[in-house]
Amino acid sequence: MAEDLVLDTAIRDWVLIPLSVVMVLIGVLRYFVSKMMRSSQTPDAKIVKEGQVIIRARNLRAAANFIPLKSFRARRVYFSNEENGLLHVPKGQAPNPQAQMFSDPNMAMDMMKKNLSMIIPQTLTFAWVNFFFSGFVAAKIPFPLTQRFRSMLQNGIDLSTVDVSYVSSRSWYFLNLFGLRGLFSLILGEENATDDTQRMMQMSGFGFDPSKSLGAEKDSLDIVQHEWALPKFEQRAEAVLRKLVS
Amino acid sequence: MVSKTEEAEVNRLESQADNGGGGEWEYLSLVRKLKLRRPDKVLKHGLTILNDPKKRSSLGHDEWTLYEQVAIAAMDCHCLDVAQDCIKVLQKKFPESKRVGRLEAMLLEAKGSWAEAEKAYLSLLEDNPLDQVILKRRVALTKAQGDISGAIQRLSEYLEVFMADHEAWRELAEIYVSLQMYKQAAFCYEELILSQPMIPLYHLAYADVLYTLGGLENLQTAKKYYASTIDLTGGKNNRALFGVCLCTFAVAQLTKGRYKEDKESPELQSLAAAALEKDYKLRAPSKLSLLGSTLRSLKLSS
Repeated sequence: MAEDLVLDTAIRDWVLIPLSVVMVLIGVLRYFVSKMMRSSQTPDAKIVKEGQVIIRARNLRAAANFIPLKSFRARRVYFSNEENGLLHVPKGQAPNPQAQMFSDPNMAMDMMKKNLSMIIPQTLTFAWVNFFFSGFVAAKIPFPLTQRFRSMLQNGIDLSTVDVSYVSSRSWYFLNLFGLRGLFSLILGEENATDDTQRMMQMSGFGFDPSKSLGAEKDSLDIVQHEWALPKFEQRAEAVLRKLVS
Repeated sequence: MVSKTEEAEVNRLESQADNGGGGEWEYLSLVRKLKLRRPDKVLKHGLTILNDPKKRSSLGHDEWTLYEQVAIAAMDCHCLDVAQDCIKVLQKKFPESKRVGRLEAMLLEAKGSWAEAEKAYLSLLEDNPLDQVILKRRVALTKAQGDISGAIQRLSEYLEVFMADHEAWRELAEIYVSLQMYKQAAFCYEELILSQPMIPLYHLAYADVLYTLGGLENLQTAKKYYASTIDLTGGKNNRALFGVCLCTFAVAQLTKGRYKEDKESPELQSLAAAALEKDYKLRAPSKLSLLGSTLRSLKLSS
Protein backbone atom coordinates (compact mmCIF):
# COMPACT_ATOMS: atom_id res chain seq x y z
CA MET A 1 0.00 0.00 0.00
CA ALA A 2 1.69 3.09 -1.14
CA GLU A 3 -0.97 5.69 -0.71
CA ASP A 4 0.18 8.95 0.71
CA LEU A 5 -1.33 9.97 3.98
CA VAL A 6 -1.76 13.66 4.29
CA LEU A 7 -0.59 14.73 7.68
CA ASP A 8 -2.20 17.70 9.31
CA THR A 9 0.12 20.67 9.56
CA ALA A 10 -1.15 21.07 13.06
CA ILE A 11 0.93 18.04 13.90
CA ARG A 12 4.02 19.84 12.80
CA ASP A 13 3.12 22.96 14.75
CA TRP A 14 2.05 21.31 17.94
CA VAL A 15 4.08 18.15 18.15
CA LEU A 16 7.36 18.21 16.30
CA ILE A 17 8.48 21.73 17.04
CA PRO A 18 7.44 21.86 20.69
CA LEU A 19 9.09 18.52 21.32
CA SER A 20 12.39 19.71 19.89
CA VAL A 21 12.19 23.00 21.76
CA VAL A 22 11.47 21.23 25.02
CA MET A 23 14.40 18.89 24.55
CA VAL A 24 16.78 21.75 23.84
CA LEU A 25 15.60 23.59 26.92
CA ILE A 26 15.95 20.53 29.11
CA GLY A 27 19.44 19.99 27.77
CA VAL A 28 20.47 23.54 28.61
CA LEU A 29 18.94 23.20 32.05
CA ARG A 30 20.87 19.99 32.67
CA TYR A 31 24.08 21.66 31.61
CA PHE A 32 23.75 24.44 34.13
CA VAL A 33 22.63 22.12 36.89
CA SER A 34 25.55 19.82 36.31
CA LYS A 35 27.91 22.79 36.31
CA MET A 36 26.64 23.81 39.72
CA MET A 37 26.70 20.33 41.12
CA ARG A 38 30.13 19.44 39.93
CA SER A 39 32.43 18.96 42.88
CA SER A 40 36.04 19.75 42.27
CA GLN A 41 37.68 16.37 42.27
CA THR A 42 40.96 16.23 44.08
CA PRO A 43 42.96 13.98 41.79
CA ASP A 44 44.39 10.90 43.34
CA ALA A 45 48.17 10.95 43.50
CA LYS A 46 48.54 7.39 42.39
CA ILE A 47 46.41 7.84 39.30
CA VAL A 48 48.19 11.01 38.29
CA LYS A 49 51.55 9.33 38.71
CA GLU A 50 50.44 6.38 36.61
CA GLY A 51 49.26 8.65 33.88
CA GLN A 52 52.59 10.43 33.83
CA VAL A 53 54.51 7.15 33.89
CA ILE A 54 52.63 6.06 30.83
CA ILE A 55 53.46 9.26 29.01
CA ARG A 56 57.12 8.95 29.91
CA ALA A 57 57.25 5.30 28.85
CA ARG A 58 55.60 6.20 25.59
CA ASN A 59 58.17 8.94 24.96
CA LEU A 60 60.91 6.45 25.68
CA ARG A 61 59.51 4.07 23.13
CA ALA A 62 59.01 6.74 20.51
CA ALA A 63 62.39 8.41 20.74
CA ALA A 64 64.49 5.45 21.85
CA ASN A 65 66.77 5.78 18.89
CA PHE A 66 67.93 9.21 19.87
CA ILE A 67 69.71 8.34 23.08
CA PRO A 68 72.73 6.12 23.54
CA LEU A 69 72.25 2.43 24.03
CA LYS A 70 73.40 2.36 27.64
CA SER A 71 70.95 5.03 28.71
CA PHE A 72 68.13 3.33 26.88
CA ARG A 73 68.87 0.03 28.55
CA ALA A 74 69.11 1.64 31.95
CA ARG A 75 65.74 3.25 31.49
CA ARG A 76 64.14 0.11 30.18
CA VAL A 77 65.26 -1.77 33.26
CA TYR A 78 63.98 1.04 35.45
CA PHE A 79 60.58 0.68 33.90
CA SER A 80 60.12 -3.00 33.54
CA ASN A 81 62.23 -4.89 36.00
CA GLU A 82 60.52 -7.44 38.11
CA GLU A 83 60.78 -6.14 41.62
CA ASN A 84 60.10 -2.45 41.53
CA GLY A 85 59.85 -1.44 37.90
CA LEU A 86 57.37 1.32 37.42
CA LEU A 87 55.34 -0.49 34.83
CA HIS A 88 55.31 -3.78 36.56
CA VAL A 89 51.92 -4.54 38.04
CA PRO A 90 52.08 -7.32 40.62
CA LYS A 91 49.57 -10.02 39.92
CA GLY A 92 47.50 -9.45 43.03
CA GLN A 93 46.65 -5.88 42.26
CA ALA A 94 45.42 -6.33 38.74
CA PRO A 95 41.72 -7.14 39.19
CA ASN A 96 41.30 -4.26 41.60
CA PRO A 97 39.84 -1.43 39.59
CA GLN A 98 36.19 -2.41 39.92
CA ALA A 99 36.43 -2.79 43.66
CA GLN A 100 38.42 0.42 43.82
CA MET A 101 35.69 2.21 41.98
CA PHE A 102 33.04 1.30 44.48
CA SER A 103 35.05 1.52 47.62
CA ASP A 104 36.11 5.05 46.93
CA PRO A 105 33.07 6.98 48.17
CA ASN A 106 33.86 10.16 46.30
CA MET A 107 34.12 8.51 42.95
CA ALA A 108 30.98 6.48 43.52
CA MET A 109 29.03 9.58 44.49
CA ASP A 110 30.28 11.40 41.42
CA MET A 111 29.30 8.62 39.10
CA MET A 112 25.89 8.37 40.69
CA LYS A 113 25.34 12.07 40.32
CA LYS A 114 26.30 11.98 36.68
CA ASN A 115 24.11 8.97 36.06
CA LEU A 116 21.15 10.53 37.77
CA SER A 117 21.46 13.77 35.90
CA MET A 118 21.35 11.75 32.74
CA ILE A 119 18.63 9.23 33.57
CA ILE A 120 16.00 11.35 35.27
CA PRO A 121 15.37 13.94 32.54
CA GLN A 122 15.42 11.21 29.92
CA THR A 123 12.85 9.15 31.77
CA LEU A 124 10.62 12.09 32.50
CA THR A 125 10.66 13.35 28.95
CA PHE A 126 10.00 9.92 27.59
CA ALA A 127 7.02 9.45 29.89
CA TRP A 128 5.71 12.86 28.92
CA VAL A 129 6.01 12.07 25.24
CA ASN A 130 4.25 8.79 25.67
CA PHE A 131 1.47 10.26 27.66
CA PHE A 132 0.71 13.25 25.51
CA PHE A 133 1.86 12.38 22.06
CA SER A 134 0.82 8.85 21.47
CA GLY A 135 -1.74 7.24 19.26
CA PHE A 136 -1.18 9.20 16.08
CA VAL A 137 1.19 9.45 13.22
CA ALA A 138 3.64 12.24 13.75
CA ALA A 139 5.95 12.27 10.78
CA LYS A 140 6.97 10.51 7.63
CA ILE A 141 10.47 9.29 7.16
CA PRO A 142 11.65 10.14 3.66
CA PHE A 143 13.12 6.72 2.86
CA PRO A 144 11.38 3.36 2.85
CA LEU A 145 11.92 0.89 5.67
CA THR A 146 11.28 -2.78 6.21
CA GLN A 147 8.53 -4.22 8.32
CA ARG A 148 10.95 -5.06 11.11
CA PHE A 149 11.01 -1.47 12.25
CA ARG A 150 7.30 -1.36 12.78
CA SER A 151 7.35 -2.27 16.42
CA MET A 152 10.11 0.19 17.14
CA LEU A 153 8.88 3.22 15.30
CA GLN A 154 5.13 2.91 15.32
CA ASN A 155 4.53 2.18 18.89
CA GLY A 156 1.28 3.93 19.60
CA ILE A 157 -0.28 3.25 16.26
CA ASP A 158 -2.40 0.13 16.30
CA LEU A 159 -3.03 -0.18 12.59
CA SER A 160 -0.86 -2.75 11.00
CA THR A 161 -1.44 -1.62 7.46
CA VAL A 162 0.08 1.80 7.72
CA ASP A 163 3.35 2.14 5.88
CA VAL A 164 6.35 1.86 8.16
CA SER A 165 7.64 5.21 7.03
CA TYR A 166 4.94 6.87 9.05
CA VAL A 167 6.27 7.03 12.57
CA SER A 168 5.00 8.00 15.93
CA SER A 169 6.30 10.82 18.07
CA ARG A 170 8.33 8.44 20.17
CA SER A 171 10.73 7.96 17.29
CA TRP A 172 10.93 11.72 16.87
CA TYR A 173 11.94 11.87 20.51
CA PHE A 174 14.76 9.37 19.97
CA LEU A 175 15.87 11.16 16.85
CA ASN A 176 16.13 14.35 18.81
CA LEU A 177 17.93 12.67 21.69
CA PHE A 178 20.83 11.61 19.54
CA GLY A 179 20.74 14.39 17.04
CA LEU A 180 20.75 17.41 19.30
CA ARG A 181 24.26 16.68 20.48
CA GLY A 182 25.67 18.71 17.60
CA LEU A 183 23.38 21.59 18.38
CA PHE A 184 24.39 21.57 22.03
CA SER A 185 28.07 21.68 21.26
CA LEU A 186 27.34 24.73 19.14
CA ILE A 187 25.37 26.55 21.82
CA LEU A 188 27.08 25.45 24.96
CA GLY A 189 30.66 25.11 23.84
CA GLU A 190 32.67 21.95 23.75
CA GLU A 191 32.20 20.52 27.19
CA ASN A 192 28.60 19.90 28.06
CA ALA A 193 26.84 17.40 30.21
CA THR A 194 24.43 16.43 27.50
CA ASP A 195 26.98 14.26 25.81
CA ASP A 196 25.11 11.18 26.88
CA THR A 197 26.15 8.92 24.11
CA GLN A 198 29.78 9.78 24.63
CA ARG A 199 29.52 9.17 28.31
CA MET A 200 27.81 5.86 27.76
CA MET A 201 30.73 4.82 25.61
CA GLN A 202 33.16 6.07 28.23
CA MET A 203 31.54 4.18 31.07
CA SER A 204 32.07 0.84 29.47
CA GLY A 205 35.79 1.45 29.13
CA PHE A 206 36.30 3.02 32.53
CA GLY A 207 37.41 0.63 35.15
CA PHE A 208 40.36 -1.07 33.55
CA ASP A 209 42.31 1.88 32.37
CA PRO A 210 45.28 2.15 34.71
CA SER A 211 46.66 -1.34 35.19
CA LYS A 212 45.89 -2.65 31.75
CA SER A 213 47.61 0.19 29.96
CA LEU A 214 50.61 -0.18 32.25
CA GLY A 215 50.91 -3.80 31.27
CA ALA A 216 50.51 -2.91 27.61
CA GLU A 217 53.22 -0.26 27.82
CA LYS A 218 55.56 -2.69 29.51
CA ASP A 219 55.06 -5.25 26.78
CA SER A 220 55.61 -2.80 23.98
CA LEU A 221 58.68 -1.44 25.72
CA ASP A 222 60.14 -4.91 25.99
CA ILE A 223 59.73 -5.37 22.28
CA VAL A 224 61.57 -2.22 21.25
CA GLN A 225 64.87 -2.76 19.49
CA HIS A 226 67.31 0.01 19.99
CA GLU A 227 68.93 1.28 16.83
CA TRP A 228 70.97 4.31 17.51
CA ALA A 229 70.10 6.97 14.96
CA LEU A 230 72.96 9.30 15.74
CA PRO A 231 75.63 7.94 13.34
CA LYS A 232 73.21 8.62 10.54
CA PHE A 233 73.05 12.19 11.74
CA GLU A 234 76.76 12.61 11.34
CA GLN A 235 76.52 11.81 7.69
CA ARG A 236 73.56 14.06 7.24
CA ALA A 237 75.42 16.87 8.96
CA GLU A 238 78.25 16.35 6.53
CA ALA A 239 75.89 16.63 3.62
CA VAL A 240 74.32 19.75 5.05
CA LEU A 241 77.67 21.39 5.58
CA ARG A 242 78.89 20.44 2.17
CA LYS A 243 75.93 22.16 0.64
CA LEU A 244 76.43 25.15 2.86
CA VAL A 245 80.10 25.56 2.13
CA SER A 246 80.03 24.96 -1.58
CA MET B 1 59.06 26.55 21.68
CA VAL B 2 57.98 29.67 19.90
CA SER B 3 57.74 29.43 16.16
CA LYS B 4 59.29 31.94 13.78
CA THR B 5 56.00 33.47 12.68
CA GLU B 6 54.91 33.93 16.27
CA GLU B 7 58.22 35.55 17.12
CA ALA B 8 57.86 37.95 14.23
CA GLU B 9 54.31 38.74 15.26
CA VAL B 10 55.31 39.48 18.84
CA ASN B 11 58.12 41.77 17.75
CA ARG B 12 55.88 43.59 15.35
CA LEU B 13 53.22 44.16 17.98
CA GLU B 14 55.83 45.21 20.49
CA SER B 15 57.29 47.86 18.23
CA GLN B 16 53.82 49.01 17.32
CA ALA B 17 52.80 49.39 20.93
CA ASP B 18 56.09 51.03 21.86
CA ASN B 19 55.64 53.69 19.26
CA GLY B 20 52.19 54.54 20.49
CA GLY B 21 50.35 52.84 17.65
CA GLY B 22 47.83 51.01 19.78
CA GLY B 23 47.45 47.25 19.70
CA GLU B 24 48.55 46.87 23.32
CA TRP B 25 45.88 44.36 24.19
CA GLU B 26 46.82 42.07 21.28
CA TYR B 27 50.45 42.28 22.31
CA LEU B 28 49.64 41.38 25.90
CA SER B 29 47.41 38.49 24.86
CA LEU B 30 50.11 37.08 22.60
CA VAL B 31 52.72 37.39 25.32
CA ARG B 32 50.40 35.59 27.71
CA LYS B 33 49.66 32.84 25.22
CA LEU B 34 53.31 32.21 24.39
CA LYS B 35 54.34 32.52 28.05
CA LEU B 36 57.09 34.99 27.28
CA ARG B 37 58.80 36.89 30.04
CA ARG B 38 58.96 40.60 29.16
CA PRO B 39 58.04 42.25 32.41
CA ASP B 40 59.01 45.82 31.58
CA LYS B 41 56.95 45.96 28.40
CA VAL B 42 54.03 44.12 29.94
CA LEU B 43 54.06 46.47 32.91
CA LYS B 44 54.18 49.59 30.78
CA HIS B 45 51.47 48.62 28.34
CA GLY B 46 49.35 46.87 30.91
CA LEU B 47 49.27 49.93 33.12
CA THR B 48 48.31 52.18 30.21
CA ILE B 49 45.28 50.01 29.67
CA LEU B 50 44.38 49.59 33.31
CA ASN B 51 44.73 53.23 34.27
CA ASP B 52 42.39 54.34 31.52
CA PRO B 53 38.86 53.52 32.72
CA LYS B 54 37.44 53.54 29.20
CA LYS B 55 39.91 51.02 27.89
CA ARG B 56 39.53 48.97 31.03
CA SER B 57 35.80 48.61 30.72
CA SER B 58 36.12 47.64 27.08
CA LEU B 59 38.00 44.52 28.16
CA GLY B 60 35.08 43.03 30.03
CA HIS B 61 35.97 39.79 31.73
CA ASP B 62 39.53 39.81 30.48
CA GLU B 63 40.20 42.72 32.82
CA TRP B 64 40.96 40.32 35.66
CA THR B 65 43.38 38.25 33.59
CA LEU B 66 45.15 41.47 32.73
CA TYR B 67 45.35 42.40 36.42
CA GLU B 68 46.99 39.07 37.12
CA GLN B 69 49.45 39.46 34.26
CA VAL B 70 50.37 42.99 35.31
CA ALA B 71 50.75 41.92 38.95
CA ILE B 72 53.27 39.24 38.00
CA ALA B 73 55.15 41.62 35.71
CA ALA B 74 55.25 44.21 38.47
CA MET B 75 56.75 41.68 40.85
CA ASP B 76 59.36 40.86 38.21
CA CYS B 77 60.27 44.53 37.97
CA HIS B 78 60.17 44.85 41.76
CA CYS B 79 57.41 47.49 41.67
CA LEU B 80 55.83 45.91 44.68
CA ASP B 81 53.28 48.61 45.38
CA VAL B 82 51.85 48.29 41.87
CA ALA B 83 51.62 44.56 42.41
CA GLN B 84 49.99 45.08 45.77
CA ASP B 85 47.32 47.31 44.23
CA CYS B 86 46.53 44.84 41.48
CA ILE B 87 46.26 42.00 43.95
CA LYS B 88 44.00 44.06 46.20
CA VAL B 89 41.63 44.66 43.30
CA LEU B 90 41.60 40.97 42.48
CA GLN B 91 41.03 40.06 46.10
CA LYS B 92 37.99 42.29 46.28
CA LYS B 93 36.55 40.69 43.19
CA PHE B 94 37.44 37.08 43.95
CA PRO B 95 37.70 36.50 47.67
CA GLU B 96 38.72 33.00 48.68
CA SER B 97 40.21 32.29 45.32
CA LYS B 98 43.21 30.00 45.01
CA ARG B 99 44.61 31.86 42.05
CA VAL B 100 44.60 35.09 44.03
CA GLY B 101 46.07 33.22 47.00
CA ARG B 102 48.93 32.17 44.78
CA LEU B 103 49.52 35.76 43.74
CA GLU B 104 49.59 36.85 47.37
CA ALA B 105 52.13 34.20 48.21
CA MET B 106 54.22 35.31 45.22
CA LEU B 107 54.12 38.87 46.54
CA LEU B 108 55.40 37.67 49.91
CA GLU B 109 58.17 35.88 48.05
CA ALA B 110 59.02 39.04 46.12
CA LYS B 111 59.19 41.01 49.34
CA GLY B 112 61.61 38.47 50.75
CA SER B 113 59.52 37.15 53.63
CA TRP B 114 60.39 33.55 52.93
CA ALA B 115 58.80 31.90 55.93
CA GLU B 116 55.44 33.53 55.37
CA ALA B 117 55.48 32.68 51.70
CA GLU B 118 56.27 29.07 52.56
CA LYS B 119 53.37 29.00 55.01
CA ALA B 120 51.03 30.45 52.40
CA TYR B 121 52.05 27.85 49.82
CA LEU B 122 51.65 25.02 52.29
CA SER B 123 48.14 26.12 53.17
CA LEU B 124 47.27 26.28 49.48
CA LEU B 125 48.66 22.80 49.03
CA GLU B 126 46.43 21.46 51.79
CA ASP B 127 43.36 21.88 49.63
CA ASN B 128 44.95 20.35 46.59
CA PRO B 129 48.18 18.47 47.27
CA LEU B 130 48.78 17.87 43.60
CA ASP B 131 48.66 21.42 42.36
CA GLN B 132 51.52 21.56 39.87
CA VAL B 133 51.90 25.32 39.84
CA ILE B 134 52.15 25.63 43.62
CA LEU B 135 54.63 22.80 43.85
CA LYS B 136 56.82 24.46 41.26
CA ARG B 137 56.61 27.79 43.05
CA ARG B 138 57.87 26.11 46.20
CA VAL B 139 60.88 24.91 44.28
CA ALA B 140 61.47 28.44 43.02
CA LEU B 141 61.15 29.71 46.60
CA THR B 142 63.81 27.31 47.82
CA LYS B 143 66.08 28.25 44.96
CA ALA B 144 65.62 31.97 45.60
CA GLN B 145 66.66 31.47 49.20
CA GLY B 146 69.91 30.05 47.93
CA ASP B 147 69.25 26.51 49.16
CA ILE B 148 70.14 24.75 45.91
CA SER B 149 70.29 21.24 47.29
CA GLY B 150 66.87 21.73 48.86
CA ALA B 151 65.61 22.92 45.50
CA ILE B 152 67.03 19.80 43.86
CA GLN B 153 65.34 17.60 46.40
CA ARG B 154 61.97 19.29 46.03
CA LEU B 155 62.23 19.21 42.25
CA SER B 156 63.10 15.51 42.31
CA GLU B 157 60.09 14.81 44.49
CA TYR B 158 57.96 16.78 42.06
CA LEU B 159 59.35 14.81 39.15
CA GLU B 160 58.65 11.52 40.94
CA VAL B 161 55.00 12.20 40.43
CA PHE B 162 54.92 14.44 37.37
CA MET B 163 57.60 12.80 35.33
CA ALA B 164 56.27 13.96 32.00
CA ASP B 165 56.79 17.65 32.74
CA HIS B 166 59.67 18.59 30.46
CA GLU B 167 60.01 22.14 31.78
CA ALA B 168 60.82 20.71 35.17
CA TRP B 169 63.44 18.38 33.69
CA ARG B 170 65.02 21.36 31.98
CA GLU B 171 65.18 23.31 35.21
CA LEU B 172 66.73 20.36 36.99
CA ALA B 173 69.32 19.96 34.25
CA GLU B 174 70.32 23.59 34.50
CA ILE B 175 70.62 23.37 38.28
CA TYR B 176 72.86 20.31 37.97
CA VAL B 177 75.05 22.03 35.41
CA SER B 178 75.40 25.01 37.72
CA LEU B 179 76.55 22.62 40.44
CA GLN B 180 78.85 20.77 38.00
CA MET B 181 77.02 17.48 38.58
CA TYR B 182 77.36 16.62 34.93
CA LYS B 183 76.36 12.99 35.02
CA GLN B 184 73.00 13.84 36.51
CA ALA B 185 72.61 16.72 34.09
CA ALA B 186 73.25 14.32 31.21
CA PHE B 187 70.43 12.12 32.49
CA CYS B 188 68.05 15.08 32.55
CA TYR B 189 69.00 16.12 29.05
CA GLU B 190 68.40 12.59 27.85
CA GLU B 191 64.88 12.84 29.27
CA LEU B 192 64.39 16.07 27.37
CA ILE B 193 65.63 14.57 24.13
CA LEU B 194 63.27 11.65 24.64
CA SER B 195 60.26 13.85 25.05
CA GLN B 196 61.12 16.26 22.22
CA PRO B 197 63.73 14.70 19.97
CA MET B 198 63.57 17.28 17.25
CA ILE B 199 64.63 20.31 19.23
CA PRO B 200 68.28 21.12 18.51
CA LEU B 201 68.70 23.03 21.78
CA TYR B 202 68.59 19.85 23.83
CA HIS B 203 71.01 18.00 21.56
CA LEU B 204 73.41 20.90 21.87
CA ALA B 205 73.16 21.07 25.63
CA TYR B 206 73.58 17.31 25.92
CA ALA B 207 76.64 17.43 23.69
CA ASP B 208 78.11 20.23 25.81
CA VAL B 209 77.66 18.22 28.98
CA LEU B 210 79.18 15.10 27.42
CA TYR B 211 82.14 17.07 26.13
CA THR B 212 82.67 18.52 29.58
CA LEU B 213 82.55 15.08 31.15
CA GLY B 214 85.34 13.96 28.90
CA GLY B 215 86.56 10.46 28.24
CA LEU B 216 86.83 8.86 24.84
CA GLU B 217 83.38 7.42 24.59
CA ASN B 218 81.71 10.60 25.81
CA LEU B 219 83.69 12.68 23.35
CA GLN B 220 82.67 10.52 20.46
CA THR B 221 79.05 10.62 21.54
CA ALA B 222 79.30 14.38 21.97
CA LYS B 223 80.61 14.71 18.44
CA LYS B 224 77.62 12.79 17.18
CA TYR B 225 75.23 15.03 19.03
CA TYR B 226 76.93 18.17 17.75
CA ALA B 227 76.46 16.69 14.31
CA SER B 228 72.78 16.11 14.92
CA THR B 229 72.45 19.71 16.07
CA ILE B 230 74.10 20.84 12.86
CA ASP B 231 71.67 18.75 10.93
CA LEU B 232 68.65 20.04 12.80
CA THR B 233 69.67 23.67 12.44
CA GLY B 234 70.84 23.46 8.83
CA GLY B 235 74.44 24.21 9.68
CA LYS B 236 73.71 27.64 11.09
CA ASN B 237 74.59 26.97 14.71
CA ASN B 238 78.15 28.12 15.22
CA ARG B 239 78.42 26.60 18.65
CA ALA B 240 77.78 23.16 17.23
CA LEU B 241 80.36 23.74 14.49
CA PHE B 242 82.93 24.73 17.08
CA GLY B 243 81.88 21.74 19.12
CA VAL B 244 82.60 19.38 16.28
CA CYS B 245 86.06 20.83 15.78
CA LEU B 246 86.90 20.70 19.46
CA CYS B 247 85.63 17.16 19.84
CA THR B 248 87.68 15.93 16.93
CA PHE B 249 90.75 17.61 18.33
CA ALA B 250 90.16 16.19 21.79
CA VAL B 251 89.63 12.69 20.45
CA ALA B 252 92.80 12.92 18.41
CA GLN B 253 94.66 14.09 21.51
CA LEU B 254 93.38 11.21 23.57
CA THR B 255 94.07 8.49 21.08
CA LYS B 256 97.24 10.00 19.60
CA GLY B 257 96.63 8.34 16.31
CA ARG B 258 96.30 4.85 17.69
CA TYR B 259 92.63 4.68 16.85
CA LYS B 260 91.84 4.64 13.18
CA GLU B 261 90.06 7.71 11.89
CA ASP B 262 86.42 6.86 12.19
CA LYS B 263 85.18 6.07 8.77
CA GLU B 264 81.75 7.42 9.30
CA SER B 265 82.49 11.07 8.83
CA PRO B 266 86.05 11.74 7.81
CA GLU B 267 85.41 15.17 6.48
CA LEU B 268 83.10 16.48 9.14
CA GLN B 269 85.67 18.55 10.96
CA SER B 270 87.13 20.18 7.85
CA LEU B 271 83.67 20.96 6.59
CA ALA B 272 82.75 22.45 9.94
CA ALA B 273 85.88 24.59 9.87
CA ALA B 274 85.07 25.76 6.35
CA ALA B 275 81.50 26.61 7.36
CA LEU B 276 82.79 28.59 10.33
CA GLU B 277 85.17 30.56 8.16
CA LYS B 278 82.41 31.33 5.72
CA ASP B 279 80.13 32.55 8.47
CA TYR B 280 82.81 34.71 10.06
CA LYS B 281 83.65 36.24 6.69
CA LEU B 282 80.03 37.17 6.35
CA ARG B 283 79.28 38.45 9.81
CA ALA B 284 82.48 39.37 11.59
CA PRO B 285 85.32 39.77 9.08
CA SER B 286 87.48 41.51 11.63
CA LYS B 287 87.62 38.35 13.72
CA LEU B 288 88.48 36.13 10.79
CA SER B 289 92.17 36.09 11.56
CA LEU B 290 91.45 35.13 15.16
CA LEU B 291 89.34 32.26 13.94
CA GLY B 292 92.02 31.20 11.51
CA SER B 293 94.69 31.02 14.19
CA THR B 294 92.38 29.08 16.53
CA LEU B 295 91.58 26.55 13.87
CA ARG B 296 95.21 26.24 12.96
CA SER B 297 96.07 25.45 16.53
CA LEU B 298 93.48 22.74 16.39
CA LYS B 299 95.27 21.49 13.29
CA LEU B 300 92.14 21.79 11.26
CA SER B 301 92.89 24.56 8.86
CA SER B 302 95.73 25.12 6.55
